[in-house]
Amino acid sequence: MLHLKAHAAILKAYLKIMLTYRGMMILHLFRVVLMPLVIATAWLSIEKADGNPYENSDYLLYYLLVPLVMNLTNSRSVFRFPVSVRDGTLSRELIKPYPPLMNIVIESFTNNLQMLLYLVPFTLISVFVFQSHFDFSFLNYKLVPISILAIFFGALTRLLISGSIALTGFWLEDVTTLNLLLNGSIWALLGGMIIPVATFPEKIRQIAELLPYRYMLSFPIEIFSGRLTTLAIYKGFAVMFFWIIIFSFTARFIWKRGIKIYSAYGG
Amino acid sequence: MFSQLKIIMKLWKASIIQSMEYRGSFIFSIFANFFDFIFGLLQYLVFFTAAKSIAGWSSDNMLALYSVFMFIYSLQFIFLYPNIAVLGEMVNTGGLDLLLTKPLDARLFVLLRKISLEELGSLSTSIVLFIWLISKGVFVITFQSVLLFIISIFSALIIVYSIYITLTALAIMLEKMEDASEFIWSLFSFCRYPTDIYPAKMKFLFFTFFPIAYISTVPAQTISGLGSTEPVIYGFIISILSLLISSAIWKKTIRSYTSAGS
Repeated sequence: MLHLKAHAAILKAYLKIMLTYRGMMILHLFRVVLMPLVIATAWLSIEKADGNPYENSDYLLYYLLVPLVMNLTNSRSVFRFPVSVRDGTLSRELIKPYPPLMNIVIESFTNNLQMLLYLVPFTLISVFVFQSHFDFSFLNYKLVPISILAIFFGALTRLLISGSIALTGFWLEDVTTLNLLLNGSIWALLGGMIIPVATFPEKIRQIAELLPYRYMLSFPIEIFSGRLTTLAIYKGFAVMFFWIIIFSFTARFIWKRGIKIYSAYGG
Repeated sequence: MFSQLKIIMKLWKASIIQSMEYRGSFIFSIFANFFDFIFGLLQYLVFFTAAKSIAGWSSDNMLALYSVFMFIYSLQFIFLYPNIAVLGEMVNTGGLDLLLTKPLDARLFVLLRKISLEELGSLSTSIVLFIWLISKGVFVITFQSVLLFIISIFSALIIVYSIYITLTALAIMLEKMEDASEFIWSLFSFCRYPTDIYPAKMKFLFFTFFPIAYISTVPAQTISGLGSTEPVIYGFIISILSLLISSAIWKKTIRSYTSAGS
């Protein structure tokens, strides 16, 4: 029922394909870590406003963890699906004996997985190099599994949002712009990429906590760095589950409507 | 030269007609880019709720930087980016070979044959922001500052163009550099903030061998009355040098090119 053997074989195949282009992965790594590092440098050069709860060490730790979490919760399926509708490869997927979208999901997952080969050493080395700048007194090892759980569900939230956008590819020729709007710009603003959510003004922070974007990036880091109370963690997971349910139904609804009008051109 | 320009205009027309084929999607893209610009602007505004200044740059100065950055970024996205995005495929499928056999300036045609108007939303909004900053009195408008600003924008465009020529040459030389566009994205990541935020050694690098300081920081400084004349003059000299060096790299690459496609 779960087609585990088939999925493991696909994962292995994708891993082999991606490892063929190891050089390109270094370029991807450069891209993933560059923006957070530039933003971190900007934050380290600011004159802080009154009431900003972050110290330089907080910013440094936050932006060292951003590439790792960002990669783990990333979903690349949004670009692959519309192409498969246009070139007709979706037709082939539909007749295979496992869920038709799993191929794309596994490809995205494999991509994230093998980026860890570069990102984990990069993060560990960076933390080691800057260790004198950190105050590790906040570290509570009980929070590590909760952060990992938050990353898992954050990835699921992003997968479902990206998936819903990708499925509009049944009707739209190109979903890149829709993705830029609903998944890129808002995510960068309210997810904690440019500004850590904890440093938002009160009212904007409350809005960010109700929307799904914070849970794909900032939330796991906030848990890890011991900045959230137990109640805030529970509340965060509850909001995240709410969005997972909403976008599960949305994706299912779009898929059911789209597959009816899919006319399998190309091949 | 005039006939080449005429051909480029015809290619652009074909490119626009092609994108207008999906009119709804095209108009939506322009609106989406407009909103992307607004979100970028909001990022700066929220940034300044937690910061008073960034490396001495006030929120008004940062808005000036953002308008200059988006202006240059949109222009390169409209005219240059669509070409480099498909360059890898062009090299590998032999499309470049076909282009090289034509009696045209190959460099111009590789870099300018396609156009994408989707960034028009960002371009127009950056100009509106620029005009609003003038009306707010953020910019120092004198004959000298305007002249220096025009020179610095011109230098910035030449530097970006030179980087594109070098990357195109590299893509042809290495035969497999489909992600040359990734480099462009990374390059512009550096330009989103003033070069003053970086340590002294990196700053030196950004003003000399990797001259990204002249893309957004120097023009924004010039028009905001924060800078002096020297960086504008250096920027102009460096832009001319960049153009000469990149042209030499291009010529060398084309001379040794032995076809990669089929």
